[in-house]
Order: sequence, then structure tokens, then C-alpha cells
Amino acid sequence: MATVVQPSRDDLPQRPNIPSAGNRLPGIRDYEQVDREIIGTLRPTLGWFAALGLAVLCLLIGITAWMYQIHEGLGAAGYHPPVMWGVYIVTFVFWVGIGHAGTLISAILYLFRAGFRTTIYRVSEAMTVFAVMTAGLFPILHLGRPWKFFWLIPYPHWRLIWPNPKSPLVWDVFAILTYLTVSATFFYVGLIPDIAVLRDQETNPVRKRIFAALSLGWRNSDREWRHFTRAYLFLAAFATPLVLSVHSVVSFDFAMALTPGWHATIFPPYFVAGAIFSGIGMVFTIIIPLRKFFRLQHFVTINDLDAAAKLCLFTSMVVGLAYLTEFQVAWMSGNRVEQEYFWNRVFGQWAWSAWIMLICNMVLPLSLFSQKLRRNTTWLFILSLFINLGMWFERFVIVVPSLSHEFEPWQWGSYAPTFVDYSILLGSFGWFFMWFLLFIKQLPAMALAEIKEIIPPKMREPEDPAEREHDLDTLTLDPINTAGDD
Amino acid sequence: MQGVIGAFSELDSAVHAIEDLRKQNFSDLTVYTPTPRHELEHALQPPQSPVRRFTLIGGLLGVTFGYWVAIWISDYWPIVVGGKPVASWVPYTIIGFELMVLIGSLATVFGMFAVSRIPRLTMTVGYDGRFSHGDFGIWVPAGPDRAGQAADVMRKHGAVEVRNER
Repeated sequence: MATVVQPSRDDLPQRPNIPSAGNRLPGIRDYEQVDREIIGTLRPTLGWFAALGLAVLCLLIGITAWMYQIHEGLGAAGYHPPVMWGVYIVTFVFWVGIGHAGTLISAILYLFRAGFRTTIYRVSEAMTVFAVMTAGLFPILHLGRPWKFFWLIPYPHWRLIWPNPKSPLVWDVFAILTYLTVSATFFYVGLIPDIAVLRDQETNPVRKRIFAALSLGWRNSDREWRHFTRAYLFLAAFATPLVLSVHSVVSFDFAMALTPGWHATIFPPYFVAGAIFSGIGMVFTIIIPLRKFFRLQHFVTINDLDAAAKLCLFTSMVVGLAYLTEFQVAWMSGNRVEQEYFWNRVFGQWAWSAWIMLICNMVLPLSLFSQKLRRNTTWLFILSLFINLGMWFERFVIVVPSLSHEFEPWQWGSYAPTFVDYSILLGSFGWFFMWFLLFIKQLPAMALAEIKEIIPPKMREPEDPAEREHDLDTLTLDPINTAGDD
Repeated sequence: MQGVIGAFSELDSAVHAIEDLRKQNFSDLTVYTPTPRHELEHALQPPQSPVRRFTLIGGLLGVTFGYWVAIWISDYWPIVVGGKPVASWVPYTIIGFELMVLIGSLATVFGMFAVSRIPRLTMTVGYDGRFSHGDFGIWVPAGPDRAGQAADVMRKHGAVEVRNER
């Protein structure tokens, strides 16, 4: 909670473009407005039902394809030697990566006291939980006998065989399950005070009982808040290294293998930066339409998006540096296999996918050096779609070209996804958006209690009314604070 | 339990009332607030939360269990590769770390629930739905002899409503 954030110093200039712990929402006047406008978004609309129907349809297409694959075998998914990992592992890494921005925004930016996270972190956390739930499906989809997935978990059983704790796949199980559990716990704990608000305002007796049970009898007492803020801080402190570890562990799935393009020590930081970058891309994809349809532009201000865009630009440059470093290492290694692999990646059989990756992830985000574009929501949304596309192709470029171009020419081959792969990829988006759409109409998409923390409370004796009025007027009328909003 | 509940719409009024009540030796005050505020914490001067102990103990248990389970599995079903150690602590750090985070986080939440006394199935005397919405509430446990005095203090500081509860 923002309560552990020390108030910013009054003598520092509050430029509208600098997010800080003293971030203000000039369009929000009081606590009642926060509850009224955010809870008001929970009413289902026709558009919401249409979107939910579309998501469920995509999910059904994915389920049908999976049933077909179980019947026909994994060959239906386009696998043939040497490429035995394809769209499923690509999409698994893609969704794990998407899941990273949520915890980055809710935990890491919390520890760094970044004020702009306040209005976007709930959506990002929800995105994290649903993205990891989606990612968790893919190792199971990738199994020939998916009903045996629990063999990866060490538990006492009659065969007396245990998984190998030196295998990266077993590390994955521990990392992903821990990440899912901790993210979901963090998400739920943050929701408890907000569910209590819903409980207190609900008039329908059935819903009131449900909210009462989910809020665990939360009463907003000082004792509860004191323990809550401590627990939240420690959860954030645990979640921060967890974010970095999970995608490092995912990168070990590749880096531990003696395959050209994979066996590199750069993989853990490269994957972590990529994950954060792709997650921020998905945050933009979700939050920009959401703030428009919910009419919450005065909550998620253009300043917040500007600050997130800077983070996006920074992570894009880190990812770009990692791409270039890979080429440099291959060039300087003197290893012919490695050099040929990288040549094949950009000028050979996989050039089309590599250039999609490079343009979407390295070139287009450079536009964010322009403040005008950082504050243009239409451009941010379009860019976010390119980033999502580019980051999916990044994982494709990592997985497929390496497997199709190993050490000896007789090992070389190709790969083409089938309709089963595409259907399951579509189904994963359906699964993700189905949960997300259900969430935004049942629970507040923005943290009520935390937003109340950053707006001035009612005071009998305002400290300096003239200064506050001036401050509000400046922020409200300042063109830089509203430009780009549609 | 009997006492007096006062509702305040302004933060500074609530803070002044708390300070005055404490000066007049009213103890064990409970303050209801829609969002945590420094001002209230400074006025109440509460002790430090013990949640951190749960975090520490949970984290230590988790990391110990993580290393132990990986070493035990390796010794129970040895996979000898190239004369390398059967149990190697370097890769097991991943499992130890993940379980430290997992058990530590769950212990933190358990600790928060335990010391906050939630889940709570009963109604809290004095609680009002407005305290999650926008108002601040002060609950003063007081018998009939001191209830009037507490009510007067809260009215003096601008309480919008004061009532006796039991």
C-alpha cells in the first residue's frame, strides 16, 4: 500500500511529467467519487457480453483442437524431427513473459515508490494471474499423455520413482507453481479491503453474503491496516526476486541444452528483460481500451501512461542490446556452428520471423523517445500490438531456428505449424480474455483503497488552501497533462 | 463489549479527537479508516506489527525444506553421471529459493490473518459501512461512567455522529 511511501517533499517542484510518491489525480475530488466511479464500471454492458462470447468461442476452438490432438497424437501439432518443440513452448514462454509485468508493476514499482503504478497495478496483477494460468496449460498440452502431468511433482507414491531435481523441467514446475501461488495470493490480499467496500455498498443479499465471505470480515480497523501494510510490503519483497527468478528458470530450459543459439549465459537477463517488455506491451493493450470504455481517463492519466511508456522504452533497449550481444558473441566465438546458426537466423530460412522480431521489438519502440508519441494513446495501443506480435516471434526465433539448424547438415530441417497449433494459440487468448473479462465485471479493476491514499482527504482546516487550489488548477488546465487523451 | 462510536468526515478532526482521547486516558481505541493514513498512525502510536516474524520463520522453513527434498530425492534414487556428485547444492538452490518464497509468502499471509483476527464471522460492535466508503470512525471502549466524557470529546472535535453501542 502507498501508506509506507513517505510523503514527497513540498519544496520540490511537482512537474506533471514526473511521477512520484506525491502523484496526484487532479480529476478526483473525494473518496466518494472513487467508489462511485470505479464501482460504477461493474455493471455488465452489451459490449462486454459480446467480448465475453468471442473469448469463449476462441476457447472452444482451442479445446476442440486439443481433443483432436489427443485422439491423433502430437504429430497433429506439426512436430517432426528435428523440431520437436514448436508453437506450444513458444506460447508457453510468451504467456509467462506477459505474466511478468503484473508483478513488476505491483511489487517492484511498489518497492521503488513509483506513484504511477497505483491506478494500473490491479489490472496488471489480474493479467499476471490469468497469464500464468494460461502458460501453465502449455506444458500439459505438450504432453503425449496430458493426464499424467502430476508426475512432475515430487510426491510419495508406490513406484518409488522421483523426478530429477537437476532437470530444468522440474525447476520450471517449482518456479511456475510458486509464481502462480504467490501472484494469486498477492492479488487476493490486495483485493480484500476493496471487496469489503463492495460488501458495504451491496444491496442484493446474495451478493452481499458472497462479498462478506470473500472479504473475510474485513473492518478497515487501524489494527488490520497496520498488519496488512506490513504483510503487503513483505509479499512485495518476496515477489520481486521471484519475478527475476521465474523467467531465469524458464530461460534455463534452453540455456542448459547444448544447442546452437541456446547455450548462452546471457539468457537469464535477456529473458527477464524480454518478459517485462512484453508484459508492459500487454498492459497497454488492456489498459488503454479499458480506461476509454470505462471512462476512467482521469484515473489512469496520461502521465501514468507516459511513465509506463518510458519503462517500455528502457526494456526495449535492454532487449535490443541482448539481441545485438548474441550476434557479437557468435561472431567473436570463432564457433562456426554458432556463426552459421545466427547467419541463418537473419539472412536464411528464418529471416522473415527474425526481422518481424527486430522491427517490432527494437525499431518501433524507439518512437517512444518522442514525448508526443508517449502521450498519444492511439499510438501506444498500436505499438503495444506490435510488441505483442514481436515478443511472440522472439520466442519463435529462439525455439524453432535453433532446433532446425543444429550441428550437422543432416540434422537440418524445417517446421510449419498446423491448424491445431493455431487453434490452440487462439484458444489460449480466449482462455486469458475470458477470465479477464469476468474479473473486470465482478471486482474493481482499480484499487479503491490505494487510490484513496493518493488523493487529499477531507480536512476541516486545509493546510494551505490557496496552494492546493493553485496546484489543482495548474494540473487540470496544463495542456501537457491532457494532450493525447481521446 | 460496550463503548462509544464516533464518525468523522474530516481526517484532521479524527486525529485531534484521538489525541484528546488519549490525553484523557482512554485506551484501546480502534480507528476505522477507508484507507491507511500516516496521520492516524502517528496519533495512535501503535506497536510494530509482528507479521515479520511469520515471514522470517516461513522463509527459513521453506528454504530448508527445498534443499532437503532435493537432496533426499537424489540420495534415494541416485543418478550417477560422469562421477559428478549425486546431490549438488548449486542446482538445488533454485528449488530452495522457490520454496523459501512460497512458504515465506504463505506464512506472511497466515500471520497477517492471525494477528488481524480474520477471517471474522461475527459482526463488530460499532462498525458502520460508511467507514469503508469515506468516513473515519473512532471506537472507544468505555463503561456507562465514562461514555459521556468520550462522546463529549468526539463532539467537540466535529464528529458528525456519536452513539453508544453495546
